[in-house]
Amino acid sequence: MNVLVVLAIILFVLMALIGGGKGIRSFVALFLNFGVLLLTIIIMSIPTINPLIPTLMACTVISCINLFYINEVNRKTKTAFLSTMITIVLLLFFIIMVTEKAKIQGFGEEETEEISAFSLYVGVDFVKVAACMIIMSAIGSIIDVAISIASPINEIYRHNPSISRKALFTSGLKIGRDILGTDTNTLFFAFFGSYLGLLIWFKDLSYTFGEIINSNVFSAEIINILCAGIGVALIIPITAWITSYSLVKQERKSKGIRK
Amino acid sequence: MNAILNKLKNMTPIQIGFYIVLVICFVVSIIFVTHNHAHYDSPIAKVTEANLVNTEEVTDINDNQDKRFMQDIMAELQNGQAKGQQIHLENEYSSSGAYDQEYEVGDELFVSIDENKEDNNLTGSITDVKRDKYIVFVAWIFIFVLLIVGKKQGLFSIISLAVNATLLTYALDVYVNTESMRLLWVCGISAVLFTVISLLIVNGFNEKTYTAIISTLLGTFLCLAITYFVLWITSENGLRYEEMEFLTRPYKAVFLAGLLLGSLGGVMDIAITIASSIFGLYESNHQISIRELKTSGMNIGKDIMGTITNILFFVYISGSIPMLILYFNNGSPVVFSLSMNLSLELARALAGGIGIVLTIPIGVYTAIFFVKRKKAKS
Repeated sequence: MNVLVVLAIILFVLMALIGGGKGIRSFVALFLNFGVLLLTIIIMSIPTINPLIPTLMACTVISCINLFYINEVNRKTKTAFLSTMITIVLLLFFIIMVTEKAKIQGFGEEETEEISAFSLYVGVDFVKVAACMIIMSAIGSIIDVAISIASPINEIYRHNPSISRKALFTSGLKIGRDILGTDTNTLFFAFFGSYLGLLIWFKDLSYTFGEIINSNVFSAEIINILCAGIGVALIIPITAWITSYSLVKQERKSKGIRK
Repeated sequence: MNAILNKLKNMTPIQIGFYIVLVICFVVSIIFVTHNHAHYDSPIAKVTEANLVNTEEVTDINDNQDKRFMQDIMAELQNGQAKGQQIHLENEYSSSGAYDQEYEVGDELFVSIDENKEDNNLTGSITDVKRDKYIVFVAWIFIFVLLIVGKKQGLFSIISLAVNATLLTYALDVYVNTESMRLLWVCGISAVLFTVISLLIVNGFNEKTYTAIISTLLGTFLCLAITYFVLWITSENGLRYEEMEFLTRPYKAVFLAGLLLGSLGGVMDIAITIASSIFGLYESNHQISIRELKTSGMNIGKDIMGTITNILFFVYISGSIPMLILYFNNGSPVVFSLSMNLSLELARALAGGIGIVLTIPIGVYTAIFFVKRKKAKS
């Protein structure tokens, strides 16, 4: 038996047992996401295509899967979707600037052994690939924050329709603050878990602090974590604002019709 | 402008002091990283002139088209005995830039100086880019964004990140310096410390935190145990350890320890969400029945388990994007490339998902245990 198959079956059974119908949808969404991600990587590897285009398209599709498929199309998911897209585009500009400046694309010296068998002149722009990689690693948590803010703001509004736009926005920010810490933590541990080998490598080969900080692999990883964290923080006010704006605007419109 | 002034007026002296210290730290650290050349042993040169001397179209054995460029670079040494002298460097780069890059005027590079120098014309070769200032710069943006958006909670999360990073480095030091220490033990003990410290920093000493700590630890170690068991019954069939990068230690230990740390964050996330919502419900209505608490807790868990598992999937898999592109463009079949590059990442993500889902009932029942105790007391 294959490890991955067994783990996937266990995950499916658990999700179905504990989550019921929604659990099964979550599991299916995982595999759809995985498929989209793979397809994107395959398209990205075509040299004539700018990697940013498939990445942005993939972000759109992935947001649709995670918001509309798992949670249905409604006001909550629509505003969450809009906020996600705005955040991603803003973040992407920043990330491209940083990756170009810091030259953290491609492979580092520590990876020479792995890549020695390959031709490196593949014609794909690795600077853009690096930017895409950072966006992709953050997309999961960005969507997570968007829906976890949009949904409670809608609940507050439902229980208290006379609430002002500003009060809605403030309560959205407050909810966001509670999620901020746990989501940055999730990202942090996921990154360090996957680069544990690198950290031990640095210690075993007694790299100096300066060598570690300036090495391609390490700085790429740190910048990746930090940019993902910036994305998670940025989406909080964006979602809070868009959701409260659209809710209160809708209210005024319906009042106008009644008049 | 008035709003800003009003805000300033409403601040306590402690807050004002904090912001002043923060700004001082920011300025000092930026000045330091832009002028720290003397602290490096290896020579650093700043590019003053970069000229393109040669362009060449290349086609590799897999028919990939690329361009190769030659650059002639003059740079000024920033440290060491030859400080202030010009050095002549050559740089070869491609438009794809997988292992090379173009340099522009103003870039700072680590170089090695050739020994046989004639008159004033130093020559040398480029070894790496000085990236520290960019890291510090992005780190400050991260800190500011977190503080502006998150206020106090933002500060707490920065503190807990810093504490966790320090702890992790210390734990790895202990591991590397002690011959007999097993990596999994070191990481297991660190995981307990991470959980206790992060949750206490953010939530303080109360039943909510204890619930979150207990369910995080149970969830993470149960997840590790299940993975261990699966590896054992399948005799690790389908895992490609040979593709693990940066290995100086037994691969299986590194893999499992990474899996433990990686799932810890996601499990902690779901544990704290469930704990705080159940205690929130109880605080707002002391008469609420245990049954209702259980249903609400499970419902919240259902809502978020998909998105948190997704976070792990995306983080793990996007790390392999550059390597996958290299495989695909070097004519490796898709299935082979995927199994080579993604088996470990997928295993980690699936195992993390198992931990996350399992933590939902664990968290609900632990919270109910504490709520019952509270009810009995009152």
